[in-house]
Amino acid sequence: MATTKIARVNLHKSTSNDDDELTAVVIKKALSKPPAEGVNPKTLKHNAGGFEGLAGFRLLKESDVAEAFSAPDTSDLRDIAEASFGPPPPQAETVHGPDNRVKITTTSSYPWRVHASLLITARDNSRWIGTGWFIGPKTLMTAGHVVFIKNSGVAGRDGWVSRIQVMPGRNGASLPYGSVTSTTFRSVTGWTGSGDQNYDYGAIILPTNLGNTTGWFGFGVYSDADLKASVGNISGYPGDKPVGTQWYDARRIASVTSRKVYYDIDTAGGQSGSAVYRIINGGRYGFAIHAYGGATTNSGTRIVTAVYNNMVAWKA
Amino acid sequence: MSTGARSVSGVVRDAAGRPVAQARVYFLKGPVALPDTALLTGRDGRFTMSAPQPGTYDVGCTSDAHGSASARVTVGNADVTLDLQLPR
Repeated sequence: MATTKIARVNLHKSTSNDDDELTAVVIKKALSKPPAEGVNPKTLKHNAGGFEGLAGFRLLKESDVAEAFSAPDTSDLRDIAEASFGPPPPQAETVHGPDNRVKITTTSSYPWRVHASLLITARDNSRWIGTGWFIGPKTLMTAGHVVFIKNSGVAGRDGWVSRIQVMPGRNGASLPYGSVTSTTFRSVTGWTGSGDQNYDYGAIILPTNLGNTTGWFGFGVYSDADLKASVGNISGYPGDKPVGTQWYDARRIASVTSRKVYYDIDTAGGQSGSAVYRIINGGRYGFAIHAYGGATTNSGTRIVTAVYNNMVAWKA
Repeated sequence: MSTGARSVSGVVRDAAGRPVAQARVYFLKGPVALPDTALLTGRDGRFTMSAPQPGTYDVGCTSDAHGSASARVTVGNADVTLDLQLPR
């Protein structure tokens, strides 16, 4: 029988809007990079259950969600607030079950200051909000669709965005670490060329070493079983809350595939690019990049070996 | 996103009917998983989002000064218009 050779295309091939800056790194050791807490971090203590030790935050269990969904039928009863404010908007589907998000007020302490509010200006001058997280002195990870818009169907919009204003630890109008504008970005051909959600990740390269001050998250490659036994933590800058405020939630990971991680951690538009991270011996380690809201579950791009290798290269 | 994206565009207005600049517009629900970003309206209150597939979408909008609103829109094989009015 004749055989046909199929060319294997590497969709994790790193690409940039500044090709001269691309470098290759070969990984020969364990696939985990450590976090750093920066200058005077005032680090929040974590809970032994794998989530942040925030006052008032409680990790939801499956039974909590089931209870919320089986509450007595009060659909005929109108909320008293409707008298003043009109009917409420429908439940955001990126919030599943009870909205468990908690507002972060101490955004200038670690780990919150690792997260940055992003103001993105696309090629057509439309402006968007998103979230990024430091993985090194100059590098923030984010979603691919934050740095490169693909298949929008809107004239002049697709392609590398023009610039991103990065505001680490933002708390409303307060910018404890100022604001830095970047015009240098990274992603991979699986996203920029194919628009494949499995490759939806990218990076922002800053012209300064601001990450040395804020600190950064570690990141690693973990097994299916390890991830499914983990609590996923997400903090970011959702658009349905007061402008520029940071919100946190955590929940057990629902499922994983070879390139994606699925979870019911509550998010909203503006949180694309957030770290999905776990806490190991007090260190915060990203294992996915939040990218999508779904009708029944949210999802992020899993950090597999190829993603990890690119992150290491982009962090350098 | 597939290449068959259609646009959902419109104007965000306050209770008095004036365009609202820098309101956050985002998808709440759709027939497929959607990028978790939010678009800021322009000075004229205008926005244009991309719906990757035909189907029913819930679109949300928030402004600190004017409150939140949402609306449902059905996207077929053509671009659609959706205006949003905030409660304040």
